[in-house]
Amino acid sequence: MISSLKRIIAIGRNTLTEAVRQRVLSVLLIFGLVMVACSVFFSKLLIDEQIKFVKDFGCGAIGLFGFAIALLSTAQLIPQELHNRTIYTILAKPVRRVEFLLGKFLGVVLLLSLSVMLMSIAFAGALYWQEWQGIDSTQIGYDQRTPHWQSSPDMVNMYQRDILEIENQVRDPQLIEAILLIFAKLVMTSGIALLISTFATSSIFTIVTTFMIYLIGHMETVARQVWLGRGAETTLYQSGFLGILSLLIPDMNSFTIVDEILAGNRVPWAHTFNLLGYAGVYLIVLLALSEISFRYREL
Amino acid sequence: MNTTLPLWFRLRRAFFFALLLGLWAPVKIVWEQHIAHEQDLLRYHDVPMTRELRDELGQGLTIGMLSGMRSVVADLVWLNVTVAWEDEQWFKMEGYINLCTSLQPRSITFWDIGGWQLAWNASVSAMYDRKQPDPMKRLKASRFWIQKGLEVYLRGIENNPEHFDMWAATARLYEQRLGDYEKAAYYYEQASLRPDALAFYERFPAIMYGKAGDDQAAFAAWTRLWNRLTPEQRLEKQHQLGAWQYAAIRKLEDKLSIPKEKRVFPN
Repeated sequence: MISSLKRIIAIGRNTLTEAVRQRVLSVLLIFGLVMVACSVFFSKLLIDEQIKFVKDFGCGAIGLFGFAIALLSTAQLIPQELHNRTIYTILAKPVRRVEFLLGKFLGVVLLLSLSVMLMSIAFAGALYWQEWQGIDSTQIGYDQRTPHWQSSPDMVNMYQRDILEIENQVRDPQLIEAILLIFAKLVMTSGIALLISTFATSSIFTIVTTFMIYLIGHMETVARQVWLGRGAETTLYQSGFLGILSLLIPDMNSFTIVDEILAGNRVPWAHTFNLLGYAGVYLIVLLALSEISFRYREL
Repeated sequence: MNTTLPLWFRLRRAFFFALLLGLWAPVKIVWEQHIAHEQDLLRYHDVPMTRELRDELGQGLTIGMLSGMRSVVADLVWLNVTVAWEDEQWFKMEGYINLCTSLQPRSITFWDIGGWQLAWNASVSAMYDRKQPDPMKRLKASRFWIQKGLEVYLRGIENNPEHFDMWAATARLYEQRLGDYEKAAYYYEQASLRPDALAFYERFPAIMYGKAGDDQAAFAAWTRLWNRLTPEQRLEKQHQLGAWQYAAIRKLEDKLSIPKEKRVFPN
């Protein structure tokens, strides 16, 4: 068991090293960091709008570039090994196929963790920059409106309230929930790509199919509701089609609850854990399916 | 493929696939329905993708929205609000505000700033429109935009009844733009009852009733406020209240000839 774990970790570490060396992924990460940092340049907007924009664009960039990294890195895991013929050398050693698969996936998860962490640090930096700007502009606003406002207790109270409001918006602990949910969605996307890559013959096929599943996943809620009879009337064929979609495709739309967090609404941790649990179990199913598919694949 | 092998063996991959999916699928549906139910309870409104919405957003933003980037799409549309404001294209601005609030109905920033743009900026601009020589027409146009701003705020309350900001913004509009102090009092009172409401909102209804000339209601509001406090809080409050507020209450008590035992400040 421990030796099996060691083999998985060794393959995972190797996959991470390979991925880090790839220029495409590094460029994507740099673009992600730049986009997060650029979100502070909406200077024409009011302070509330600016903070909202930084949050939305920051999390949007983490989601978008994380998705690209997840998709590209996972899609080429197995095809690249087959193309370079390294898979035969590895599997000729006492490494089981499941260990190879889990090790590869672990490498991608590590890569995603690293990317999300780096982009989150940039995001936090952008938010603190925005807070600093907001406090600065608030003070200038008070100075311009009332020259000696510090001598009035009411004005000082109002100023402190404005500053507190900015701080509350920026230092929102719920943003951790948002980042976790984005990460869970990215890992799920990787799981889907891994499953497809176990039977696909090219990376392009994996990328396109995963992207389509990702898009359909955002509409799965609608398909499910209609299938369960809570929407428009459907024919038997339509219902059958929607049923298959609902049963197979993951519900990606539930993760857009991140928007609620970014809008400043409270999302209880219990609900976040429910979503993370769903992603976790779905991932186990995807890995199990990948294992079945890969075990019986003729190499 | 070796056809001498039994069929189930040849199709074992598909068989195991179907078995696992068959076990997982019912759990998946129940779980997803549970998540959806929880999100309904959280008043999380998803935006249905309609033909009209797709036409308004354009192809790029529609794909962005379908990829789960709804907040970013809403922000990109919102940038047009600022541009329309600078260009004083008020009808365009109203359209963008409505689109953004439809995309993110739980974003207080959009409702709050959207209503303010219409009821203050658009309305004041219409009032001082140099191209319109008729003052009555200018007044009418100004009122039109105030009404539009009010509609935005009321829809904001409908979507976010638990947020004090929406109630307070509506109250401010009634107070500052329409001079309807009775309604302003009602909305300030509602704002003060919401969680996280700023403490001073609880005094505003009484002040608004006073401005409206309804002394009885103002006095009743002050008394209600006073009766909510514990004796310790009353001492503290008496110390905290500004001289003018104290004077206002005393004035009301004298004006309405309130008997000593019913006064807020009997001494």
